[in-house]
Amino acid sequence: MTSADGPSALRLDLEAAQLRRLEQASLIEATTLVLLVCVAVPLKHLAGLPIGVAVMGPVHGLAFLTYGWVAIQAVAGGGWRRPEAARLLLLAVVPFGGYFNLALIRRKKSELGSALAA
Amino acid sequence: MLDTLYPWLKAAHIAAGIAFVGGLLTGSIALATVQSDRFPTPASTAFIEVVRAWDRRVTMPAILLVWALGLTLALQGHWFRSVWLPAKLVIVLALSAWHGVQSGVLRRLAGGASTRGGRGSGAVPFAILAAVLTVVLLAVLKPA
Repeated sequence: MTSADGPSALRLDLEAAQLRRLEQASLIEATTLVLLVCVAVPLKHLAGLPIGVAVMGPVHGLAFLTYGWVAIQAVAGGGWRRPEAARLLLLAVVPFGGYFNLALIRRKKSELGSALAA
Repeated sequence: MLDTLYPWLKAAHIAAGIAFVGGLLTGSIALATVQSDRFPTPASTAFIEVVRAWDRRVTMPAILLVWALGLTLALQGHWFRSVWLPAKLVIVLALSAWHGVQSGVLRRLAGGASTRGGRGSGAVPFAILAAVLTVVLLAVLKPA
Protein backbone atom coordinates (compact mmCIF):
# COMPACT_ATOMS: atom_id res chain seq x y z
CA MET A 1 0.00 0.00 0.00
CA THR A 2 1.75 3.16 -1.06
CA SER A 3 0.79 6.69 -1.79
CA ALA A 4 1.04 7.65 -5.44
CA ASP A 5 -0.36 11.20 -5.27
CA GLY A 6 1.19 14.47 -4.24
CA PRO A 7 -0.02 15.66 -0.85
CA SER A 8 -3.42 17.42 -0.87
CA ALA A 9 -4.19 20.33 1.49
CA LEU A 10 -6.53 18.05 3.46
CA ARG A 11 -3.82 15.44 3.82
CA LEU A 12 -1.32 18.04 5.03
CA ASP A 13 -3.88 19.25 7.59
CA LEU A 14 -4.41 15.69 8.84
CA GLU A 15 -0.65 15.11 9.08
CA ALA A 16 -0.18 18.41 10.94
CA ALA A 17 -2.83 17.34 13.49
CA GLN A 18 -1.09 13.98 13.90
CA LEU A 19 2.28 15.70 14.46
CA ARG A 20 0.70 17.88 17.17
CA ARG A 21 -0.57 14.73 18.91
CA LEU A 22 2.87 13.15 18.58
CA GLU A 23 4.55 16.24 20.04
CA GLN A 24 2.19 16.21 23.06
CA ALA A 25 2.62 12.47 23.60
CA SER A 26 6.42 12.80 23.33
CA LEU A 27 6.50 15.62 25.88
CA ILE A 28 4.35 13.67 28.35
CA GLU A 29 6.33 10.44 27.84
CA ALA A 30 9.68 12.19 28.29
CA THR A 31 8.52 14.06 31.39
CA THR A 32 7.04 11.00 33.12
CA LEU A 33 10.26 9.06 32.43
CA VAL A 34 12.39 11.84 33.92
CA LEU A 35 10.10 12.01 36.99
CA LEU A 36 10.29 8.23 37.38
CA VAL A 37 14.07 7.91 36.98
CA CYS A 38 15.24 11.17 38.57
CA VAL A 39 12.69 11.60 41.37
CA ALA A 40 10.72 8.43 42.15
CA VAL A 41 13.57 5.89 41.96
CA PRO A 42 16.01 7.94 44.15
CA LEU A 43 13.18 8.53 46.64
CA LYS A 44 12.64 4.79 46.86
CA HIS A 45 16.28 3.77 47.23
CA LEU A 46 17.70 6.74 49.15
CA ALA A 47 14.76 7.80 51.30
CA GLY A 48 12.86 4.50 51.55
CA LEU A 49 9.71 6.01 49.99
CA PRO A 50 8.33 3.54 47.40
CA ILE A 51 5.13 5.52 46.78
CA GLY A 52 6.73 7.54 43.96
CA VAL A 53 7.64 4.43 41.98
CA ALA A 54 4.26 2.84 42.75
CA VAL A 55 2.53 5.86 41.22
CA MET A 56 4.94 6.95 38.48
CA GLY A 57 5.68 3.39 37.24
CA PRO A 58 2.17 2.70 35.89
CA VAL A 59 1.71 6.36 34.82
CA HIS A 60 4.90 6.24 32.75
CA GLY A 61 3.99 2.77 31.43
CA LEU A 62 0.72 4.10 30.09
CA ALA A 63 2.38 7.27 28.76
CA PHE A 64 5.00 5.15 26.96
CA LEU A 65 2.39 2.85 25.41
CA THR A 66 0.37 5.86 24.26
CA TYR A 67 3.46 7.50 22.79
CA GLY A 68 4.49 4.32 20.94
CA TRP A 69 1.00 3.94 19.53
CA VAL A 70 0.81 7.61 18.39
CA ALA A 71 4.32 7.31 16.88
CA ILE A 72 3.27 4.21 14.89
CA GLN A 73 0.18 6.08 13.66
CA ALA A 74 2.37 8.99 12.54
CA VAL A 75 4.94 6.82 10.76
CA ALA A 76 2.28 4.63 9.10
CA GLY A 77 0.83 7.78 7.50
CA GLY A 78 4.02 8.10 5.44
CA GLY A 79 6.67 10.79 5.01
CA TRP A 80 9.17 9.36 7.54
CA ARG A 81 12.55 7.89 6.67
CA ARG A 82 13.55 4.69 8.49
CA PRO A 83 16.28 6.33 10.61
CA GLU A 84 13.76 8.97 11.71
CA ALA A 85 11.21 6.31 12.66
CA ALA A 86 13.86 4.32 14.54
CA ARG A 87 14.98 7.48 16.35
CA LEU A 88 11.38 8.20 17.43
CA LEU A 89 11.13 4.82 19.13
CA LEU A 90 14.69 4.39 20.44
CA LEU A 91 15.17 7.81 22.04
CA ALA A 92 11.88 7.39 23.91
CA VAL A 93 13.41 4.71 26.16
CA VAL A 94 16.34 6.94 27.17
CA PRO A 95 15.80 9.48 29.98
CA PHE A 96 15.64 12.99 28.42
CA GLY A 97 15.71 11.32 24.96
CA GLY A 98 12.10 12.22 24.30
CA TYR A 99 13.02 15.92 24.51
CA PHE A 100 15.47 15.42 21.64
CA ASN A 101 12.65 13.83 19.63
CA LEU A 102 10.70 17.06 20.01
CA ALA A 103 13.23 18.81 17.77
CA LEU A 104 12.66 16.21 15.03
CA ILE A 105 8.87 16.46 15.37
CA ARG A 106 9.00 20.27 15.24
CA ARG A 107 11.18 20.12 12.12
CA LYS A 108 8.58 17.84 10.49
CA LYS A 109 5.86 20.31 11.49
CA SER A 110 7.73 23.20 9.94
CA GLU A 111 8.33 21.21 6.73
CA LEU A 112 4.57 20.55 6.58
CA GLY A 113 3.90 24.22 7.26
CA SER A 114 6.11 25.17 4.31
CA ALA A 115 4.32 22.63 2.10
CA LEU A 116 0.93 24.06 3.18
CA ALA A 117 2.07 27.60 2.45
CA ALA A 118 3.38 26.65 -1.00
CA MET B 1 -11.55 -0.74 47.95
CA LEU B 2 -10.10 -2.07 44.70
CA ASP B 3 -11.31 -5.55 45.70
CA THR B 4 -14.93 -4.39 45.69
CA LEU B 5 -14.37 -2.64 42.37
CA TYR B 6 -12.79 -5.74 40.78
CA PRO B 7 -15.92 -7.12 39.01
CA TRP B 8 -16.74 -3.63 37.69
CA LEU B 9 -13.20 -3.05 36.46
CA LYS B 10 -13.23 -6.47 34.81
CA ALA B 11 -16.60 -5.80 33.14
CA ALA B 12 -15.37 -2.42 31.86
CA HIS B 13 -12.12 -4.05 30.62
CA ILE B 14 -14.06 -6.70 28.67
CA ALA B 15 -16.47 -4.11 27.22
CA ALA B 16 -13.55 -1.90 26.15
CA GLY B 17 -11.85 -4.98 24.64
CA ILE B 18 -14.95 -5.78 22.60
CA ALA B 19 -15.08 -2.17 21.31
CA PHE B 20 -11.35 -2.32 20.48
CA VAL B 21 -11.61 -5.60 18.57
CA GLY B 22 -14.77 -4.43 16.77
CA GLY B 23 -13.02 -1.27 15.61
CA LEU B 24 -9.87 -3.14 14.65
CA LEU B 25 -11.83 -5.64 12.53
CA THR B 26 -13.91 -2.87 10.94
CA GLY B 27 -10.76 -0.96 9.98
CA SER B 28 -9.03 -4.04 8.57
CA ILE B 29 -12.07 -5.04 6.50
CA ALA B 30 -12.45 -1.43 5.25
CA LEU B 31 -8.79 -1.32 4.18
CA ALA B 32 -9.04 -4.70 2.44
CA THR B 33 -12.15 -3.45 0.61
CA VAL B 34 -10.75 -0.15 -0.65
CA GLN B 35 -7.53 -1.80 -1.74
CA SER B 36 -9.44 -4.14 -4.00
CA ASP B 37 -11.24 -1.04 -5.34
CA ARG B 38 -9.84 1.71 -7.56
CA PHE B 39 -9.39 4.14 -4.67
CA PRO B 40 -10.17 6.99 -4.37
CA THR B 41 -13.75 7.08 -5.61
CA PRO B 42 -16.32 9.42 -4.00
CA ALA B 43 -18.06 6.44 -2.36
CA SER B 44 -14.89 4.86 -1.02
CA THR B 45 -13.59 8.20 0.30
CA ALA B 46 -16.87 8.75 2.19
CA PHE B 47 -16.70 5.17 3.50
CA ILE B 48 -13.14 5.66 4.75
CA GLU B 49 -14.14 8.91 6.48
CA VAL B 50 -16.95 7.12 8.35
CA VAL B 51 -14.59 4.31 9.44
CA ARG B 52 -11.96 6.84 10.47
CA ALA B 53 -14.47 8.83 12.55
CA TRP B 54 -15.48 5.62 14.38
CA ASP B 55 -11.81 4.80 14.90
CA ARG B 56 -11.14 8.20 16.50
CA ARG B 57 -14.28 8.40 18.63
CA VAL B 58 -14.66 4.80 19.77
CA THR B 59 -11.71 2.54 19.01
CA MET B 60 -8.91 4.81 20.25
CA PRO B 61 -10.52 5.56 23.66
CA ALA B 62 -11.34 1.84 23.92
CA ILE B 63 -7.65 0.92 23.50
CA LEU B 64 -6.60 3.35 26.21
CA LEU B 65 -9.27 1.90 28.53
CA VAL B 66 -8.22 -1.68 27.71
CA TRP B 67 -4.63 -0.91 28.71
CA ALA B 68 -5.40 1.20 31.78
CA LEU B 69 -7.98 -1.24 33.17
CA GLY B 70 -5.99 -4.32 32.15
CA LEU B 71 -2.82 -3.12 33.89
CA THR B 72 -4.85 -2.22 37.00
CA LEU B 73 -6.42 -5.70 37.09
CA ALA B 74 -3.04 -7.38 36.52
CA LEU B 75 -1.39 -5.40 39.34
CA GLN B 76 -4.30 -6.13 41.65
CA GLY B 77 -4.24 -9.86 40.89
CA HIS B 78 -0.40 -10.11 41.05
CA TRP B 79 -0.47 -11.89 37.69
CA PHE B 80 2.75 -10.46 36.29
CA ARG B 81 4.60 -13.53 37.63
CA SER B 82 2.38 -15.92 35.66
CA VAL B 83 3.12 -17.24 32.17
CA TRP B 84 -0.23 -16.49 30.56
CA LEU B 85 -0.28 -12.74 31.27
CA PRO B 86 3.04 -11.82 29.55
CA ALA B 87 1.96 -14.01 26.59
CA LYS B 88 -1.37 -12.18 26.45
CA LEU B 89 0.39 -8.80 26.77
CA VAL B 90 2.62 -9.54 23.77
CA ILE B 91 -0.42 -10.34 21.61
CA VAL B 92 -2.38 -7.27 22.80
CA LEU B 93 0.71 -5.12 22.20
CA ALA B 94 0.92 -6.49 18.62
CA LEU B 95 -2.81 -5.81 18.08
CA SER B 96 -2.41 -2.25 19.44
CA ALA B 97 0.60 -1.65 17.18
CA TRP B 98 -1.36 -3.00 14.22
CA HIS B 99 -4.18 -0.62 15.09
CA GLY B 100 -1.63 2.22 14.98
CA VAL B 101 -0.58 1.16 11.47
CA GLN B 102 -4.23 0.93 10.34
CA SER B 103 -4.98 4.39 11.77
CA GLY B 104 -2.04 5.88 9.88
CA VAL B 105 -3.15 4.30 6.61
CA LEU B 106 -6.78 5.39 7.17
CA ARG B 107 -5.56 8.96 7.78
CA ARG B 108 -3.51 8.87 4.58
CA LEU B 109 -6.49 7.58 2.57
CA ALA B 110 -8.82 10.15 4.17
CA GLY B 111 -6.40 12.81 2.91
CA GLY B 112 -6.97 11.58 -0.64
CA ALA B 113 -3.85 9.44 -1.17
CA SER B 114 -4.30 6.53 -3.54
CA THR B 115 -3.43 2.93 -2.73
CA ARG B 116 -1.67 0.26 -4.68
CA GLY B 117 -1.59 -3.44 -4.13
CA GLY B 118 -2.01 -4.57 -0.56
CA ARG B 119 -1.59 -8.26 -1.32
CA GLY B 120 -2.73 -10.38 1.59
CA SER B 121 -4.75 -7.59 3.21
CA GLY B 122 -7.83 -9.83 2.98
CA ALA B 123 -6.14 -12.23 5.40
CA VAL B 124 -5.61 -9.55 8.07
CA PRO B 125 -9.10 -9.79 9.65
CA PHE B 126 -8.61 -13.55 10.04
CA ALA B 127 -5.21 -13.04 11.65
CA ILE B 128 -6.80 -10.54 14.06
CA LEU B 129 -9.53 -13.06 14.92
CA ALA B 130 -6.92 -15.77 15.58
CA ALA B 131 -5.00 -13.40 17.88
CA VAL B 132 -8.20 -12.45 19.74
CA LEU B 133 -9.13 -16.10 20.18
CA THR B 134 -5.69 -16.77 21.69
CA VAL B 135 -6.06 -13.79 24.05
CA VAL B 136 -9.48 -14.99 25.23
CA LEU B 137 -8.22 -18.55 25.78
CA LEU B 138 -5.24 -17.27 27.78
CA ALA B 139 -7.43 -14.97 29.90
CA VAL B 140 -10.08 -17.61 30.60
CA LEU B 141 -7.92 -20.71 31.09
CA LYS B 142 -4.96 -18.89 32.73
CA PRO B 143 -2.48 -21.71 31.96
CA ALA B 144 0.38 -21.93 34.51
